[in-house]
Amino acid sequence: MKILSSLQTPTKLNFFHSDDRMLLIFIGSIIGACSGTAAAALNHFLHIAFTFFYPIRHHWWAFIFPASGAFLSALFLGKIVKDGAGHGVPEVIYSVSRHGGLLRFRSSFSRLVSSFLTIGSGGSAGPEAPVVMSGAAIGSNIANFFSMNDRQRITLLACGSAGAISAIFNAPIAGMVFTIEVILGGWRSANIAPIAIAAVAGTEISRFLQGDQIAFPHQLFDIRFPDIMACIGLSIFTVVASVLFTKFLRTTGSLSKKIKTPLMVRAAIGGCAVGIIGYFFPVALGEGYHSVREMITSTFTCGLPILLLGLMAKMFATSLTLGFGGSGGIFAPCLVIGSLTGLIFYKTISVLFPSVIWVNEGYFALIGMAGLISGVMQAPLTGIFLIVEITGGYEVILPLILISTISSTLCNYIEPASFYLKDLKEKNLLLHPGTDAGILSVLTVHEVIEKDCTTVKQNMLLRDFIKIISKSRRNYFPVENEKNGKFTGIIHLDDIRSFIFNPSIYNVVVLEQITTTGIKTADPDDNLLDILKTMDKDGLFSMPVVTNGIFIGMVSKATILDQYRKELMVQTTEI
Amino acid sequence: MRSKLLHIFRNTPLGRETLFQSIYFCKQLNILPVVYIPRFTKFLMYFENDVVQIDLDDSYLTSADTAIDRITAMMEQEEIQPSFIEPQNFTASTLPDLPTDFDFMCCPRSMSDLSSKIGLGHIGTKVRWIIKYAHFPILLTSPVFKKWKSITVFFGGSANALKALRLGFRLSKISKMPLDIFTQLEENSPEVYKQIIKDEDLEDSLNQNIRKWHFFESGKFENNLYHVPHDALVVLGAYGYGLIKEMLFGSKMEKIQATISNNLLIAGPKYFVSK
Repeated sequence: MKILSSLQTPTKLNFFHSDDRMLLIFIGSIIGACSGTAAAALNHFLHIAFTFFYPIRHHWWAFIFPASGAFLSALFLGKIVKDGAGHGVPEVIYSVSRHGGLLRFRSSFSRLVSSFLTIGSGGSAGPEAPVVMSGAAIGSNIANFFSMNDRQRITLLACGSAGAISAIFNAPIAGMVFTIEVILGGWRSANIAPIAIAAVAGTEISRFLQGDQIAFPHQLFDIRFPDIMACIGLSIFTVVASVLFTKFLRTTGSLSKKIKTPLMVRAAIGGCAVGIIGYFFPVALGEGYHSVREMITSTFTCGLPILLLGLMAKMFATSLTLGFGGSGGIFAPCLVIGSLTGLIFYKTISVLFPSVIWVNEGYFALIGMAGLISGVMQAPLTGIFLIVEITGGYEVILPLILISTISSTLCNYIEPASFYLKDLKEKNLLLHPGTDAGILSVLTVHEVIEKDCTTVKQNMLLRDFIKIISKSRRNYFPVENEKNGKFTGIIHLDDIRSFIFNPSIYNVVVLEQITTTGIKTADPDDNLLDILKTMDKDGLFSMPVVTNGIFIGMVSKATILDQYRKELMVQTTEI
Repeated sequence: MRSKLLHIFRNTPLGRETLFQSIYFCKQLNILPVVYIPRFTKFLMYFENDVVQIDLDDSYLTSADTAIDRITAMMEQEEIQPSFIEPQNFTASTLPDLPTDFDFMCCPRSMSDLSSKIGLGHIGTKVRWIIKYAHFPILLTSPVFKKWKSITVFFGGSANALKALRLGFRLSKISKMPLDIFTQLEENSPEVYKQIIKDEDLEDSLNQNIRKWHFFESGKFENNLYHVPHDALVVLGAYGYGLIKEMLFGSKMEKIQATISNNLLIAGPKYFVSK
């Protein structure tokens, strides 16, 4: 029993007690392998579904498949596992930001099943966000099993996310970079080793189960200076596409909430619409990797108008799938939309500059993908490394860097938060651990309240008050109404110095006459960040805490700073 | 600072009975009741080391428009200022997070099942989870409003039982109600339990608060439970085992709640009581 108990709290074992890095690396590798297995399983089942549905997708009645898939997906999420719908990635970021990486156990499998139903039946979405959610939940729950603290749990959650992305794309660096750039929002040396090992474990598991293959065929491009410069123009196209796509997603989501029908019916309506769009534009269906392969190998033969319509169709289909209650992520749609944008750009410049010899359309499809990923997620490094790894082509690194940085910078200029973070920022829910707001958000008034204040009554004579001052070590004295005990104001020693040294008025002045009234008070449930803002704005060092008109204590900047330092150490200590 | 009790309101006859229990509990112990009126059938509670999703049944959403008026009327009748909680954070758009910085929480015996199923003999899974992870005691109410006039603590000598005993002393002191202790002697003599109290430095508190310490040397535990006054608030410690562990190891909490209809105040393993 003792052995079992010590295994459940491994941080207490002597070997791990002084340095938990080895422990995190060890558990991180297990988590990476588990999340990699989950990702490979989803990929495998999606492949089976694709093979099953592909021969019958051209029938007019095939629109029923995405509709029924979305219906079943919403039914499973809403009624069977009772999990909320959504993309998954914002939920993981929120958990890291506000709750020390705590995620529900059900999230480790719920999105895998629901996204399989949505995407496998033809819904336009990607499996990457669901596997991130699943991997992160696996990491979080394993951390809970081993009774780990918030910092360790966040690291293990990140390991799950890295393992999942690495496995699904067979791209370990992209998995690491995505996790650090998007999920954690910052680099910390203590996190890197466990995340890297988890990414390796996830990739290895994926290679073992699915074979060592890259998602898209490797192409050799003869890139010259005009092709690199063309990236600047393409980045404008990808910025427009990114902003449009983000707007479509958000608008459709808001519109669908206004339809007063159960979520399952709504999801089915969205699925029906996707099926109809897919009948005319098959590129809009499913994850769309098949079309991306064709675009990279220059075998996607469509004219400019069809490409434009295809681009709009994919955007609409993804918005309808996800906005109406389907389950999945935007990673794969971004790749499809990005490659379509690249082709559109290629066709445009070929018309505008007929005398210039451009490399080929596959090259533009490829860097278009990086531009869109970087634009929508505002994560340039993820865009760069993902495309390098999934296409196996290092020779396009310069254009990739160029387009990713321009696209993410311009998108950030237009829309200050990425698609994943927009909702969280709007609701003020994004607070990264170790940041000022992140530390203050976990502290409460209850933790910093000083209760050793001496309250005085408003009818008390100055003479009696002087006696109290002589015994007190504080400068502030809250004043209460004698009859109902309600807080009326405060006396600060600085304000009454002239009265103290004038004994002739000791028996004449009552405290009501020298009390400062109408001062700002705090409530025990107030946010400390707001209290500090009020203190800064009004030049205060302390504020009385009052609830239902009754004084219960003081909060001061000094005590807040003291607690702030302690919490800062908890959140940022590396070992 | 005044202690706070979280109450999840359901606008049904059973829900109103439960609110009456909360109001009475708060009034006796000078606690501020804070009421949450659900807008969705699920919510999350983030505890220190785990997150618990509570899935409510649809009856919790009944007549939400009249809920505030009813609660206000019921509280004002008892001269209590109503206080409501509105979730500030959402994990997903239909999944609000409720804060957990309360001192007590009131639950029916099951939150997820339809009220028609609720009776003695069943504690819902979610309620067990809350007991397991909450740092505050859980008030499990009887199905109909029942005033309590004394406090009974079940003490079996475990760490959780000591927490329950300390809690019982505190409640007895605040409410000025008499305190009884019940102990089923399994293989030990009464002296063993008295020694535990002595070792924990609780002798003075015991002498100040206790009315009677009942030791049961023989008879089945379930049968001895009938000696518990019907109008007592029963305080006990529990591990919050899930159904499987409960089947394997058994559960005193389950036996107690299935046998007597008293209001129960349960101190779980994470409940922290200052010494």
